[in-house]
Amino acid sequence: MLAEPFKRDKVPPIMDTSIGSQYDELRQEVRSFFAANEDVAVPAGPGFGGDASEVRNRVVKWQQRLVDAGYAGREIPQRYGGAGREPDALASLVIEEEFQNAGLSLGMENQGISMFVPTLLHFGREDQKKDLIGPTIRGELIWCQGYSEPGSGSDLASLRTSAVLDGDEYVINGQKIWTSGAREADMMFALIRTEADAGKHGGISYLVLSMDTPGLDVRPLMTMTGDASFNEVFFTDVRVPATNVIGRPGQGWEVGTYTLRFERNMLGRSNATENYLAGCVDILRETGLIDSPVYRDRLLKLEGRVQAMKYHQLRLLTDRLKKRDSGAGGLIVKLNNCQLNYDVCALAIDAMAERGVLRRGSKHVRDYGNWQRNYMYALGLIIGGGTAQIQKNIIGERGLGLPRAPKPAAVQSPRRP
Amino acid sequence: MDFGLTQPQELLRDSIARFLAQDVGIERVRRVMDSESGQDEAIHGQLGDQGITGLLVDMDRGGSELGMQEAAIAAQEIGRAAAPVNFHSAYVLAPLLLAGADAGERRNGLLEGIAEGRTLVTPILDAPVQNGRVDGTVLYVPDAAWSDAFLLESGGSLHLLETKTAGIDIEPLQTVDDTRRVAEVTFSGVDLNAAESLGGSAESTRRAVYAAQIAIAADALGAARKGLHIAVDYAKERKQFERIIGSFQAVKHICAEVLAEVEPVQSLLWHTADAWDEGSDEIDHFAPLLKAHATDVASHAVTMTTQVFGGIGFTHECDMHIFYKRAGYDRQVLGNPTALREQAAAAMYA
Repeated sequence: MLAEPFKRDKVPPIMDTSIGSQYDELRQEVRSFFAANEDVAVPAGPGFGGDASEVRNRVVKWQQRLVDAGYAGREIPQRYGGAGREPDALASLVIEEEFQNAGLSLGMENQGISMFVPTLLHFGREDQKKDLIGPTIRGELIWCQGYSEPGSGSDLASLRTSAVLDGDEYVINGQKIWTSGAREADMMFALIRTEADAGKHGGISYLVLSMDTPGLDVRPLMTMTGDASFNEVFFTDVRVPATNVIGRPGQGWEVGTYTLRFERNMLGRSNATENYLAGCVDILRETGLIDSPVYRDRLLKLEGRVQAMKYHQLRLLTDRLKKRDSGAGGLIVKLNNCQLNYDVCALAIDAMAERGVLRRGSKHVRDYGNWQRNYMYALGLIIGGGTAQIQKNIIGERGLGLPRAPKPAAVQSPRRP
Repeated sequence: MDFGLTQPQELLRDSIARFLAQDVGIERVRRVMDSESGQDEAIHGQLGDQGITGLLVDMDRGGSELGMQEAAIAAQEIGRAAAPVNFHSAYVLAPLLLAGADAGERRNGLLEGIAEGRTLVTPILDAPVQNGRVDGTVLYVPDAAWSDAFLLESGGSLHLLETKTAGIDIEPLQTVDDTRRVAEVTFSGVDLNAAESLGGSAESTRRAVYAAQIAIAADALGAARKGLHIAVDYAKERKQFERIIGSFQAVKHICAEVLAEVEPVQSLLWHTADAWDEGSDEIDHFAPLLKAHATDVASHAVTMTTQVFGGIGFTHECDMHIFYKRAGYDRQVLGNPTALREQAAAAMYA
C-alpha cells in the first residue's frame, strides 16, 4: 500500500494557481487606475491603429502614466526613475491579469526598455544608470540595437565593425544591418570590436552612442511588411567617448549575450498570443465560420497549443518563484510562441477569405490591416532574435545535451553548377 | 501560486517509476507482447501492492482516496514503461463509475478488490442494454479475455455481469499495440436481474470518462517522453561520417522540435487534472482538448524520434516501436483527436 506521505489527508488536493487575497488591494488599485486614465488608454491586440504619429503620441502618454503609477518600470530603483518596488512575480502577474482582462496594453516593449535597461542595471556605472534609465522607460529615449552585420548574422561573434582608441575617444568604422528602428532611435547600444588580437569573443566591447553622432549614416531597408523598420547603419570615423562602454572594454560578448536573454523573453510572451486568438475567434464568429467543422478543427488545434503554452508559462513562473532552474523548459518559449503567433494570424486571414488580401490603408481592410502586418511581422520574429534554427541548436545542445557540430577543418565554397 | 507537482506528488511519481523500472522492465513487457494472449497475470496484484490500483478508491474501501493529479502521475509513468495494463479502464474508469454507483456490499467488495489489485473490472460504455436484457456485440473491449466482471453502462445506469456468465462470448482481437489487448464481446440476450443493478448517474459517468481521457493523455505523454529520451541517448552514441549523429543539425533539430512540442503538454495535463479535481466546468472543454492535443503531439513525437534511429528504428529489436505503438493505441481509444476537437469546440463555441 501507499506510504504515509501519499495519503489524501497529507496532500493538498488542488494545485495552487491562486494568487492570494493579499493582492486584492492591488487589483482594486489597477482598476481605479484604468478608470482614471481612460483618456489615453492603449488597447492591446489587433484592434488598435490609425495615424502613425497619433498612435505614437498616445503610446508614449500611456507609457508615462504607467511609469508614474508603477506598472511599468516597477522594479527599477526610484533613483533611476522607476517605482522601486521589490521584485514580486505574483504582483506582476496580478497586474498582467488585470491589463489582460481590461484588454489594455502593458506599455511599450522596445529594445531599450526590455533589453537595454536590464543589461545596464546589471553591468552599468552609476552615472550611466542615472542618465539613461529614466528617460528610456518613459519612452523619451528610444534605442536601437547594433548587433548584426552583413557577414555576421547567426554567427554574431564574427562581427568586424571596429573601434580604435584615440585619446579618450573610440573611433568606429564599419557597418551594422537589420537595425530595427534606427531612424526613430535617439541612441544605439552596439557590439564593436575594440581589440583586434583578443580572439573572436574576447575583443568585443558594448558601447552606447547617440544617433546624432557625426559620421553615422542610416539608410532604411524596406521590410516585407511595407514598413521601413529595418536599416543599415554605416560608421565612418564615428567618435564616441571611451566612457560610453557598458561594463569593461573587452567584456562586450558577455554583456551583449546577457541582453539577448531578455530578447528571448520579450519575443516569447504568451499574453499577446491569447489576445490574438480571441480576435481570431471574433472573426470566425462574425463570418459564421465558427460553425464550420474544418475551421473549428484548425481553431482547436491552435487552442491546444496556446493553452499548453499558457500553462507552461505558469510552470516557468513557479520555477522563478522557487528559484529553480527551468532547464529546457525556458529555452522553448521563443520558438513556440513566435510560430504560434504566426499560425494564429494565418487562420484569421484565411477566415477573411478574399478580404485577407487587403493591407493597411485600404478600404474594407479589417482591424487596420494589423492581421496582415502581424502575419508577416511574426515571420520576422521567427527569424529575428536568433532564428528558429538557432533556437533549435540551443534547445538541442543546452536542453538535451547533444554535441555541437565539429568545426570544419576548412570551409570550401560550394561548386557552381 | 504553485503550479506544478507537490513534493508528495513528486515522491509518488518517483516511487512508481522505481517500481516499474525494477519489476516491469522492458524484457517483461516484451514477453507479454510476444505471448499469444497478451495477459500479464501478476501485474495487477503487484500494482495493487504498490497502491497504484487504489489511487482513486476511497480509504474506507482500502484505497488512498487521491485525485486525478495522482492518477495522471501513475498513468504517465505506466505509459513511459509501456506497462501491459489498461490503467485508464481498470483503475480510473471502473473505480470512478463504481464510486458513483449505489452503495452496497457488491459495490464495496468490487472497490476493495480493485484497491488490492485482485479484481479486474472492465467498464463497457453505452452497452446494449434494453428492457432488462443485454443483447448485442460490443467491440474493442479492453482486457475482456481475463476480466472478472463487466461493468455495463447505459444512459448512466450501471449493471454488473461476471464475465463467466452464460450467454457471454469473448473473442480476442489482434491489436497493433501488443502491450494492451482488446476483444469482441457478444451478449446473447443475457438477463439482468435486480442484484446486478448498481444505480449510477449520467453526471458521474461523464466525469469518469473525462478522467479516463486524462489518463490516456498522460499515458501518451509518458510514451512520447520515453521515445524522445531513448532517441536522444542513441543520437549521443551513434556515429556516422565519423561524427556523433546528434551533432548533425538534421538530427538535433528533430529532437529539439519534439521537446518543444512535448514539454508544454505536461503543463496542460497538470491543469486539466487540476480542473477535474476541482470539479470545474472547464473540464467539458479541457478533457477532450487535452486528449486531442496530447495524443496528436505524441503521435508526431514518436514518428520523428523513430527516424533518429535510422533503419534500427524500424526493427523489432529496437524498443522504439513499443512506444510508437503505445501512442497509436492511446490516440484512437475514447475519442481520436479530430473527434475530440469537435467535442471541445461544441463545449466552448456552441
